[in-house]
Amino acid sequence: MVFNSLTFVAFFIVMLILHNLPFSWKVKKINLLLASYVFYAAWNPPFILLLWLSTVVDFFVGRALYNQQNKHKRKLLLVVSLIGNLGMLCFFKYGGFILENFTSLVNLLGMDYHPAKPNIILPAGISFYTFTTLCYTIDMYKRKSEPVKSMLDFSLFVTFFPHLVAGPIVRPPQLVPQFETPRKATQQQLMNGLFLLSIGLFMKVVLADSMLAATADSIFGSAREPYGALDAWTGVLAFSGQIFFDFAGYSTCAIGVAACLGFVLPENFLYPYGAIGFSDFWRRWHITLSAWLRDYLYIPLGGNRKGKFRTYINLMITMLLGGLWHGANWTFVVWGALHGFYLWMEKIVQGFSRVKVIPISAAPSGEVGVLGVLPAPLKTKTFRNFLLAMVTFFFINVTWVFFRAPDFHSAWMLLKSMFNVYPKATPSLATLSIIKVGVIVVFMVAFHWLMRDTKVLSVAGKMPWWLVGLIWSVLILLLVWSQESSSSFIYFQF
Amino acid sequence: MPLIVYSLFFISYINTFTMQQNSLAKAGILMLILVTASLVSWELYVRSKGYDTSFDDGPPLWANKRAQVYEPADKSTVFIGSSRIKFDLDIPTWEGLTGDHAVQLACVGSSPLPVLEDLANDVRFKGKLVIDVTEILFFSLAPPNLKNPKENIKYYKEQTPAQKVSFQINRLLESKLAFLDKDRLSLNAMLDKVRPASRKGVFVFPLFADGFGRVKYDRQEYMTEAFVADTNQQNIVRGVWKFLGEVGKEPPPTGGKLDTLFNMVKANVDKIRARGGKVIFVRTPSSGPFLAGENMGFPREKYWEQLLKATGTPGIHFADYPVIDHFQCPEFSHLSMPDAVIFTKEFIRILAQEKGWSFAKMPAVK
Repeated sequence: MVFNSLTFVAFFIVMLILHNLPFSWKVKKINLLLASYVFYAAWNPPFILLLWLSTVVDFFVGRALYNQQNKHKRKLLLVVSLIGNLGMLCFFKYGGFILENFTSLVNLLGMDYHPAKPNIILPAGISFYTFTTLCYTIDMYKRKSEPVKSMLDFSLFVTFFPHLVAGPIVRPPQLVPQFETPRKATQQQLMNGLFLLSIGLFMKVVLADSMLAATADSIFGSAREPYGALDAWTGVLAFSGQIFFDFAGYSTCAIGVAACLGFVLPENFLYPYGAIGFSDFWRRWHITLSAWLRDYLYIPLGGNRKGKFRTYINLMITMLLGGLWHGANWTFVVWGALHGFYLWMEKIVQGFSRVKVIPISAAPSGEVGVLGVLPAPLKTKTFRNFLLAMVTFFFINVTWVFFRAPDFHSAWMLLKSMFNVYPKATPSLATLSIIKVGVIVVFMVAFHWLMRDTKVLSVAGKMPWWLVGLIWSVLILLLVWSQESSSSFIYFQF
Repeated sequence: MPLIVYSLFFISYINTFTMQQNSLAKAGILMLILVTASLVSWELYVRSKGYDTSFDDGPPLWANKRAQVYEPADKSTVFIGSSRIKFDLDIPTWEGLTGDHAVQLACVGSSPLPVLEDLANDVRFKGKLVIDVTEILFFSLAPPNLKNPKENIKYYKEQTPAQKVSFQINRLLESKLAFLDKDRLSLNAMLDKVRPASRKGVFVFPLFADGFGRVKYDRQEYMTEAFVADTNQQNIVRGVWKFLGEVGKEPPPTGGKLDTLFNMVKANVDKIRARGGKVIFVRTPSSGPFLAGENMGFPREKYWEQLLKATGTPGIHFADYPVIDHFQCPEFSHLSMPDAVIFTKEFIRILAQEKGWSFAKMPAVK
């Protein structure tokens, strides 16, 4: 089920009541686990079997990995876990893509091979829970933390419904200890949670679905056609806003829902369109994924410890695989490649400047981002930095073309349209659509710039309560007024 | 103004009684009060302006009806087509006279062919089927005319348990609250009403009048009494038809294209009949310049008669029956509610007496 549905409202009210009844902690955890299964099964009940399989296999393999002393057997267990998790992901998410590319390759070699198109349904959130369980078994292999003692706690760690289908991607030390002692939201936590849930729903339902989706869909839906620069840029900016409000909206809802139950989930977005540079962008966009890629891919590849050349290669591999994680299409790989290229350029420029990025190994624990923490000169809100942030935003928008376009031809046509190659193309978007996108994007970028060093709850805490109440009312009224049906979040398909 | 006074009163009230609580809790209470007061005021306001409850005619409502086609053939009839059958079939009259459940699957502004194909390929469907023929939509395979039915079918096939529960909750709310009228009172609908002029060459769909196309839970559409009495509103909708007539200049299919379409229809109708189902075509009334345009673009002998002949299927054309051949549609294309009642009664009589259809309350006349 999705957060922006009436089913979820009913489900969540029941959960809040159950969680606050005087049951034992174990009973409450069983309630949470069963509720999480209901939450997941509400999409497609049979896929819950995959979730169980992944949970059971990784619980036992993780424990064996930690306890096993024999080096070879440990490696074998790790391979079993990797094959189990990544195999499942590959089959469901990349099965069709691999077969399609294999077919093209053998056809190119002159073989007449045309297999039937596989009809594989992608289980919701498989990329997210696979990464959640993978990091557990890898941590066990490295003995970075103790194995989870109870199957109930481990199942809840994997399945806890706020993060299950679209993150934030949680690590065992972030969530498992929270299941070990009884938790109930304080009044402050409950109100924070409800406030965040309202903001998240507003972002998703009002801004992403009601205001921006139609314009983005209209432009990208016919991207093979030539557009004038105004239409092309409006479409791309609309998607830029839509993808942010959709995904950050989901994460904000997830954090809010968890807070209402007394749990803390990690931040996933920190005003990414206020980023100065691309490493800063990745500190702020899908933080838990970039941290995951840093810790379980970039650093194991050698990070920046094996010389400049290897650093560049490792960076590109990380971004390419990060791109592929988002979807089984070469356009996503190019999206990742562009980000990798931007990071290269940024590193080269920084090599010539006095501003040095602190290497990843020096980053304090909890800091995220592929390249490390932000240099001090970029932390101030000067006009120069604002211009740099706008340049970053411009290049990020170019990458979104590949992320959203269905194929390279469409992406290329749209890029050409953005740079006014077709000035005489028939106008496409209604003035109202352009105004909606323009107003929202301007406010979004300004908001990201002003809020880049703070958090919404801190700001709300400093405002007069009546003003917060007034703003909160407007959010809820617009949410009701928009009357959008419960559409899926974009990141569910990843 | 009363809302502001009311709010200020409660702000001071909350301030006094929640001094010990955190500021977000106070903000939450204020939010609850403001939201409740605003929604109650809004509901009262829209009702005072003549709005009544109207359901969102999107894929969830369609899917809910689609699931009902498996009711026994002697107890239900399925209707597919375009908007005309949605307006012209008065479902309470139909159900009252026949004892049959009317399952309305027609889609506004769309061809019925995707739904016909869906039903034909569903081996569990063996019932009675009425296909409304609005020539300009029926004899077209243009993608925009197939989009909505295809989306509805896809939604029905992929609907999740959570979506079914959401639909039931939403249905309860929509049946009580007039402001939950997505087509007229949602944020986007309201913004559309004040939209500025667009650049030359941009396709912008014109707005329908407010009183046209209210939707009931059974998917019957109707025009309000105010609409029927107001020629200004009627002219707005007539203007929409004129606009669509000017932009949709695709010529009617002829020759091979038309034969292909007939063959597609025949294949699907045959599948249903082979399973024991019954199929009939109906040409519902239109009037004025709209009817004249239809007669010119789609001459009856070349399209309607050929459709019946090529598919070997009976049909009812409104022009053949004096009781229903004289309706003046307010906006030239759909019947008002009182006329829909008359049309439905006569339609049932023809089905039972001339076409041999039987219903729970009305056995066939031999």
